[in-house]
Amino acid sequence: MAEHGGGGRGDLGDKAREEFFSEAQELIDGLGRDLLAVDAVSKGGRTDPELINDVFRAVHTLKGLAGLFGATLMSGLSHELEDVLDDLRLGRLEMSPAVLDLLFRAVELYAQILAAERGDRPDEPGADVKALLHALGQVSQRREGGGVSPVAQYELDPGLLGVLTEYEEYRLRTNIAQGVSLFRIRVQFRLDTIDSALDELKARARPHGEIITYLPTGEGGDADSIELEILLASHATLAVLEAALGGSYAAIEEVQRRGGRSRPPPAIDEHEGEPFGDMTGAVPAVTGETSSFPQAPQPPESKAGELPLPVVWGREPPTTGTVSTTTSEMPPPFGDFGRVSRGRPTDVDDILKSMPPPVPPAEKQPSYPPGAVGGTGGREMSLRSVSQTVRVDIRKLDHLMNIVGELAIVRTSLAKLSDKVRLRPDARGLANELYRLHRVFERNLAQMQNGILEVRMVPLGQAFDKLARIVRQISREHDKQVNLVVTGAETEIDKLIVEELSDPLMHMIRNAIDHGIEPREERMRVGKPTVGTIALNAFQKGNHVVIEVEDDGAGMNTQVIINSAVRRGLLSREQAMELAPHEILGLVFLPGFTTRGEATDLSGRGVGMDIVKTNISRMGGIIDISSELGIGTKMTITLPITLAVISVLIVETAGRTYAIPLASVEEAIVFDERDVRAVEDREVMNQRGRTLPICRLWKLFGLAPEAAATGKRFVVIAAVGNRKLGFVVDRLVGQQDIVIKALGKSLSHVRGFAGATELGDQRVALVLDVAALVEEVLSGDGERLLEGRSAGALEMRTEGRLGDGRARA
Amino acid sequence: MAALVRRRAEQRALRRAADGQRTEYLAFSLAGEIYAVEIHSIGEILKPPPITEVPRAEPSIIGVVSVRGRLVTVIDLRKRFGVKDAPIGHLTRILLVDKGDEKLGLLVDEVLQVYRLTENEIEPANVLGGDQPAHILGIGRPKEGTGRPDFGSLLVLLDLRPILDG
Repeated sequence: MAEHGGGGRGDLGDKAREEFFSEAQELIDGLGRDLLAVDAVSKGGRTDPELINDVFRAVHTLKGLAGLFGATLMSGLSHELEDVLDDLRLGRLEMSPAVLDLLFRAVELYAQILAAERGDRPDEPGADVKALLHALGQVSQRREGGGVSPVAQYELDPGLLGVLTEYEEYRLRTNIAQGVSLFRIRVQFRLDTIDSALDELKARARPHGEIITYLPTGEGGDADSIELEILLASHATLAVLEAALGGSYAAIEEVQRRGGRSRPPPAIDEHEGEPFGDMTGAVPAVTGETSSFPQAPQPPESKAGELPLPVVWGREPPTTGTVSTTTSEMPPPFGDFGRVSRGRPTDVDDILKSMPPPVPPAEKQPSYPPGAVGGTGGREMSLRSVSQTVRVDIRKLDHLMNIVGELAIVRTSLAKLSDKVRLRPDARGLANELYRLHRVFERNLAQMQNGILEVRMVPLGQAFDKLARIVRQISREHDKQVNLVVTGAETEIDKLIVEELSDPLMHMIRNAIDHGIEPREERMRVGKPTVGTIALNAFQKGNHVVIEVEDDGAGMNTQVIINSAVRRGLLSREQAMELAPHEILGLVFLPGFTTRGEATDLSGRGVGMDIVKTNISRMGGIIDISSELGIGTKMTITLPITLAVISVLIVETAGRTYAIPLASVEEAIVFDERDVRAVEDREVMNQRGRTLPICRLWKLFGLAPEAAATGKRFVVIAAVGNRKLGFVVDRLVGQQDIVIKALGKSLSHVRGFAGATELGDQRVALVLDVAALVEEVLSGDGERLLEGRSAGALEMRTEGRLGDGRARA
Repeated sequence: MAALVRRRAEQRALRRAADGQRTEYLAFSLAGEIYAVEIHSIGEILKPPPITEVPRAEPSIIGVVSVRGRLVTVIDLRKRFGVKDAPIGHLTRILLVDKGDEKLGLLVDEVLQVYRLTENEIEPANVLGGDQPAHILGIGRPKEGTGRPDFGSLLVLLDLRPILDG
């Protein structure tokens, strides 16, 4: 790393370097998205020069940045990429899956280089870069030979052809290859208005075709005007063009082909080429305006910014904006496992036949991209965002949030003061004034809190884009055809959660491709489409965001899972017999669990499902699996929408104050000791005819019970997924919106607390991690672990200094 | 005023030149001993706010406090050093230190004063015998008046890193 330090690094401060990292990261992310769009277009057998240009620009900017910061590895890679991209956009090199692979590989390497530069990883991927550079070098040498130019078939002035730039010639060839007619337009412009007039003409011509070039004819002009000859490639008829461009100043004529036929075969009807088959109705017809290829079977990705993604699963789309609405009428392909009878091939067959092809075959279908807005709309959008947004360090937002938290405490004190003043009859006027001010303050504070929260929110698409790359890469490595169908990429969630989510999602998708989707032959045998489908669905549900990773693969075999778990000594066969089906699926979350004899290349890497689960619960989320043999597997992650502000129920037990997130509280009822029964060392109570396991919070935390607690106690019933647990507490204090703060690293291993918050008058209350506690209590082993721990803890807390400290407080 | 400040600065410079490099140490008492840490490692000295205990945390972590909106984990140095507990008194203080990835508070019995020690006022830790714990840097013997003759003038100089990591 040191040798890449270069000259500039020392001079530019840390702040500048941070800027470099985030800017480079943005560019790399954008590059990945552009490449996915290129991939989608090239599956349709086309090349969009504008997209390639975007990629080129991104690489070029990266090169400049890297040079500035002395990141020689990055600038070297960029330099080589520029050459290849240049060849691609000039048509000297054909876009092929192999070339695309190299480009995608480059994106991965960029990310690695950046991580190394940043010091996140010790090693630079120098060797990998070298290998890639070599491969790129070979590619750029394997350029397409010249060949006989189809251009020669047209009666074009050799003089004109001679002055075409390389790029213009390439565009001309491409258009001819696509069977587009050529038109020659002669226009006279006044010299003083030529710029605007030319722009206007271009704007009018754009919906109908592509302007290849314009050159002065040298005729017909005088001192004040000039005549241009414009070469336009268009599928429109002469009449249409005349109508569009018409006016006295333009003369249009079609360029004839040598040897007779004036036009290539007629243009394909817009709808005939529709790649969505019976979904045609769901996809609005593409209007030609934004495309330079109005005639071709129009793949929808050129306007991906507006076009709906095909929604496959039969749920009501979460948002109306980007999702096709007709899809909710489609039968769920395999979403509702309950109605599907088990694994008989004929049933599978029927179901598969009855569902519309989730995604048209890969060759024709530009399956992507949700965020990979490759079209004009997308570019405009990204341009806007560059000029109107600022990058903010999330720590700064945390700082602001802390200040807002402080202000919330001031607000509480203010309310108390206001109440106090109101009690004094001599100060009524003052009291009213204070009360009004307090209300204004409260309102503004709430707005400010919301504002900051909003800033922290980012669309999930950020994480999904990366996953699309992974899917592409892994499915190629495994020679399995897989389509990723994304819905709800615009669902917003706390930035920190998005960051933390990438790894678990990536692992789940790897698993889905590796273990879930069957090999092609197997899929064919059972009558499934050879192309597997992985759906990534996100939607908001109250204060939570739900993310589903669903595949139409082989499903999970509960018997295999049990065997494997028993073999690994995770539980006994007798215990396994008692498990409900969903509990059996839950075994895959146990540490050390795997169904494979040996880890495969894919699943051997990275984290196991236990780590996925740990990571998700660390963010206060839960994960569930449902699976049906032969039909598919669905993993559902439910996450809080933000980590920052939550509504909590403040409770007291054993003289301590705790906060329980309301999102997981179902209700709170009065506790009656007489309702309690013991079942196998566990306490349960009767909740309206249902058995509710309960847990006394003081016991769970190893605190001394409050001797004076003779009054009514309460049970706070927490629900996590479909599991319920009642926490017995001494008092309910009330409901409050709090700013939750993470406990420091030295407390990170302490289970059961999601963080802490300030209640006012300097007091701090711990926020319970309900999901973890429910899991711990109901899974049983947690309690055993606790027995040992709580004895020591109790001792430490009952004597010693803390009692005195509290007394002073 | 300005002249006064300048004169003091000159005196300090003169003294430093005479004595060689001086380092400032903050001395505090804990279970009858005097410890001292380099003053630059101390961010702040606080009167203990209400401390919220964290169930299941390791015993030497006494709890968390809020310092101007920031959560700080407080370590009881008595417990870290394995000496007997004592109640929090009116002299008890929390020393805020930065551990890099988080802020920690160290609970001490009483903050005494700042000592400015030269190299020749510091003895290596091995004067106390062979195996000294990693957190003892050495023994400070300030030659200047301590103002607290009853404590003698023997300071156990602490290296905070092993304490914070432990």
